[in-house]
Amino acid sequence: MQLSGTYTFNADQQTVWKLLMDPQAIAKALPNAQSMTPIEGETDAWRVIVKLNLPVINGAFNGIIRMSEQVEPDHYRLTVSGEGQQSVIGGTALITLTPDAGGAKTLLKWVADANISGKLAGIGQRLAGSVAPMMANQFFNAMAKQLPARP
Amino acid sequence: MATRIFGSGIKRREDPRLITGKARYTDDFQMAGMVHMVVVRSPHAHARITSIDTSAARGAPGVVAVFTGHDLKLGAIPCAWLVPGSDLKVPAHPALATETVRYVGDGVAMIIATDRYLAQDAADLVQVTYEVLPAVVNPETSTKEGSPQLFPEIANNVAFHWVASSGDDGVNQAFAEAEVVVKERIVQQRLLPTAMEPRAVLAQWDKYAEELTVYSTTQNPHIARFILSGVTGVPEHKLRVIAPEVGGGFGSKIPVYADEALAAWASMKLGVPVKWAETRSENYQVTIHGRDHVEYVEMAATKEGKVTAIRGTVYAGLGAYISTAAPGVPTILHGLMYSGAYAIPHIRAETFGVLTNTTPVDAYRGAGRPEATFLVERLMDRLAHTLNMDPVALRRKNLIPPFENGYTVAIGLTYDSGNYEAALAKALGMFDYEGFRREQAAARQQGRYLGIGVTTYSECCGLGPSQVAGAVGFQGGLWESAIVRFSPAGKVQALIGASPHGQGEETTFAQIIADELGVPVDDVEIAHGDTNRSPMGWGSYGSRTTPVGGAALVTAARKIKEKARAMAAHLLEAATEDIEYGDGKFFVRGAPDRFKSIQEAALMATLAWNLPAGMEPGMEASAFYDPPNFVYPFGTHIAVVEVNPATGQVDLQRYIAVDDCGPQINPMIVEGQIHGGLVQGIGQVLCEGVVYDDQGQLLTGTMMDYAMPRADMFPTFEIESTVTPSPHHPIGVKGVGETGAIASTPTVYNAVIDALQPFGIEQMEMPLTAPRVWKAIQDARAKGGQ
Repeated sequence: MQLSGTYTFNADQQTVWKLLMDPQAIAKALPNAQSMTPIEGETDAWRVIVKLNLPVINGAFNGIIRMSEQVEPDHYRLTVSGEGQQSVIGGTALITLTPDAGGAKTLLKWVADANISGKLAGIGQRLAGSVAPMMANQFFNAMAKQLPARP
Repeated sequence: MATRIFGSGIKRREDPRLITGKARYTDDFQMAGMVHMVVVRSPHAHARITSIDTSAARGAPGVVAVFTGHDLKLGAIPCAWLVPGSDLKVPAHPALATETVRYVGDGVAMIIATDRYLAQDAADLVQVTYEVLPAVVNPETSTKEGSPQLFPEIANNVAFHWVASSGDDGVNQAFAEAEVVVKERIVQQRLLPTAMEPRAVLAQWDKYAEELTVYSTTQNPHIARFILSGVTGVPEHKLRVIAPEVGGGFGSKIPVYADEALAAWASMKLGVPVKWAETRSENYQVTIHGRDHVEYVEMAATKEGKVTAIRGTVYAGLGAYISTAAPGVPTILHGLMYSGAYAIPHIRAETFGVLTNTTPVDAYRGAGRPEATFLVERLMDRLAHTLNMDPVALRRKNLIPPFENGYTVAIGLTYDSGNYEAALAKALGMFDYEGFRREQAAARQQGRYLGIGVTTYSECCGLGPSQVAGAVGFQGGLWESAIVRFSPAGKVQALIGASPHGQGEETTFAQIIADELGVPVDDVEIAHGDTNRSPMGWGSYGSRTTPVGGAALVTAARKIKEKARAMAAHLLEAATEDIEYGDGKFFVRGAPDRFKSIQEAALMATLAWNLPAGMEPGMEASAFYDPPNFVYPFGTHIAVVEVNPATGQVDLQRYIAVDDCGPQINPMIVEGQIHGGLVQGIGQVLCEGVVYDDQGQLLTGTMMDYAMPRADMFPTFEIESTVTPSPHHPIGVKGVGETGAIASTPTVYNAVIDALQPFGIEQMEMPLTAPRVWKAIQDARAKGGQ
C-alpha cells in the first residue's frame, strides 16, 4: 500500500534535520508511544511499544524503528516493523527535506510503502489511508513543537 | 372439525424464548472449573513457520497451558465428501499448523486460560517467526503455471477435476451446429455466511467415565460426533454432541473445524471443561465462506430461441484446505443442475476444485444451486437480448412441460414433479408485464432506467437417497429417523435426528404430529440436537429437514396410529378392519358413539393390563426414512428495479416470488424462509462480497467492511405459491429453505442488466454497488452508448 504526505516546518533545513535525527525528540513525538529504547549493538535502531486505539483493534504493538540512508540534510529512510493483536505491520518511508525559497521554512515529503497483515488488515486497509497521514501529521506537529525557539 | 392444523400459519413456538433472551446457546453454558481457549492465528496468507516461542505466553496472568501443533495428538481434520472420478486429492489439514500456514487465520498455537480476556492477552505474547511466501487468491489464477503452490503433492493447486456430461459428442455437435451461441464469464464472488451466532464449542471430558461431551454450534450433531470421534480417538458411544440453541448456520455450521477438535483435545489433556467462542472478526477469518467461482459458460440455441445445449467450465475456489463437504458443492450440487427448469438436450459441466491462500469455502445457503441457477438464467437473458426476443417468451419456449411423476433431464437427474408454466402464469398474474414494458419504454424517453428480471427456476434439495450419497462420494448416509411416543398422560414426544437451528421445525413438526394423530398441537413436543437423546440423523442442511426428517416423523406417527387402532379395536371388542378413525378418535364403523380416543388407546397400551394377543406394551414407534429421490421445488421470481444513471444506485422497487414447495405445513414459516433467502440472495447482487488483497489479506474482516444487506434496501416482498406435491414424499412436501437464495440473485441481476440495455451493458461483476454501476454507465457512454 502506497501512502504519502507532506509537512511544512517553520525552521531552516539544518535545524529540522537535527530535530528529526534526535531520538529523544522522536520518543516524545511518537503518538501513543509507551517506550522507545535503543537496540544494543545497532545504531539508529530502537524498540518501541505503541498503544494503538482503533475501532475493533486496540492494544499494544511491539515494534522496531530503524533509520538508514541518511544524507544530511536532504533525505533519509525510516523503516518500521511491528506486531501485536494478531497482526503484523511493516513499512518503509523515504523522507525528503527541501528548503523553501527564503530558507526559513522546510518542506518535508514522505513516501511510504506499507504492509498490513492479519486482523488489522481487515480494517486497516480502509482506515490506513486516512489514519496514517493523520498520525504522521500528529507526529510532525509534536516534533515541530520541539523546535528551538527562533532567535 | 376444527381448522386443520396442517397448513395453518400458527406462530412459532421457538420464538418466545428467542426474543425474550431465554434461549441457551453454547456460549451461555458455564461449568465448574471451566477454562477458555483462544487460538493464535497466522497474520500471513502463506508463510513457513520458522519458530514458535510460547515462553512469555506461558508466564502470563491466568494462563493454564499453551500448546502448539507439536504437542497435539489429534488426527487431521477430514473431508467427508470424496467426489469420485475427479482425481480428488485431499491435503492433510492439521488442527494447528506446524510448518506452513496457508491462510490468514490458520491456527498455530492455542492458549488455555482461566478467563477469555486473559487468554486473548496471552495470545499476543506468543512469538511466531514466519518466512512469508507468495500467496494466491483467485481460483482461476491459482491453476496457472508459476502460481504459488500450496501443497507440493497437488500440482497447480488443482485438488480435483470433475466432469458431468450428457455425452461430449452431442454437446460438441450442438455447439458446432448452433445458430446462436452466447457466452459469459461469470464471477460468483465470495460471500460470508454471517450466522447471527458465531461458532462456539464447550468440551467436557469426564475422566472417570472416560466420556467426552461436546456442546457445539453444529447443524448436524451426529456427523460432528462421527468426525470428532475419528479425530480425537474417543469412540462414538463415549462421545456426546449437543447442539443447544444454534443461532443460524446457512451451511457454515455443517463442517467440523479445527477449533472443535482442539477444545475437545484440550479438555481431555487438562481434565477440565474447555470453552471456545469465536469473535465476529474471527468468524469472518476462519468460518467457511461461500461461492467463489470463476465460470466460463455458454449456451447454444436456434434462431427461434430453442436452447440446444449448455456447458460450463468452473474454477471453484476451495480455500486453503478442503472443508467437510466442499468437493460436493461445486460438482454434484452445481454441475448436475445446469438444466434448470428447461428441457435442454445437451449439457456438460466441468469443475476444477482449486486451492488458494484463503479461508476454506464450503456449503452456503443453496450451495452450488444458486451458482447453477445464476448461470442458466443469465445465459437465458443474454440469449433473449441476442435474439431480440422477450425473455419471458424465450423461457416459455424452453420450460419443461408439466409432469407429476418424474422427468429426467439430459444430465441424468430425475426431477420429481413440476408445473413451471403454472408458477410463471401465477407470477405474471400478479404483475402487468406488458404494461411494465410500456412504462419502461416511456421512462427511457425521460432518462429513467427501469428494468425487470424474471427467473423460472427449479432446484434440487431434500438431500437425499443414501444410495446416491454413496455413489457420489458423500461419506455418510442421507436418511433421517424419528421416534414418536405417547406418555401415559397422553402427551406426545417426538425425537428427531435432524437438528433445526432457526427453521422452525419444533413448530411445523408438531403440526405434522398433531395432524397425523389428532392430538392438540400443544401436546406435542419436538426434541432434537443431542446425540444421547435424539436418534441417528444426518443433520439440517440442503433443505432436507422436512423432506427427509419430516417423512421419518410421519412414518413413525403412522405406525403409532396403526398400533393405537389395534388397541382401540381390542378395547371396543371389534375387528381392527371395522375401526374407523377421525379427529383423534377410533370408532366402530356405523357406531360413532362407540369410540376410544387415541390418548385412551395409548394409555391402555402403556398400562398393558389388557393387551391384544401378541402386542408389545407401550405406545412408541421409530422410523428410518431414506428418500427414494430428491425433491425439486420450483417457481417464478420477478424483480423490478430502477437504476439512477447519475449515481449508479439500484433501487429494488418490487419483488414477486411464487414458489412451489408442495403442500405447506405452515405458510407463515414458509414465507419467513423465503424472506430470509431472498435477502441473502439479493445481498449477493447488491452489496455483499469478500475482498482479499493480492497477498491474501482479508480486507472485509468486520461487519463495518463487509456489507450485509439492510432492511431499507428491500420493498415489501409479494409472496405467493402454487402447490405441486412431490410424488414420492408421504405428505408431498418439498424443501423451501434455500429457494429464495437460489432464485433471487439472477432475478435482481438480470433486472439491473435489463435496465441498462440502452447503454449496451451486458455484464458487470457483483456486487452491483453504486460506484460499479456508475462506472459501467460512464464507460458505456464513453464508448458511444446512450
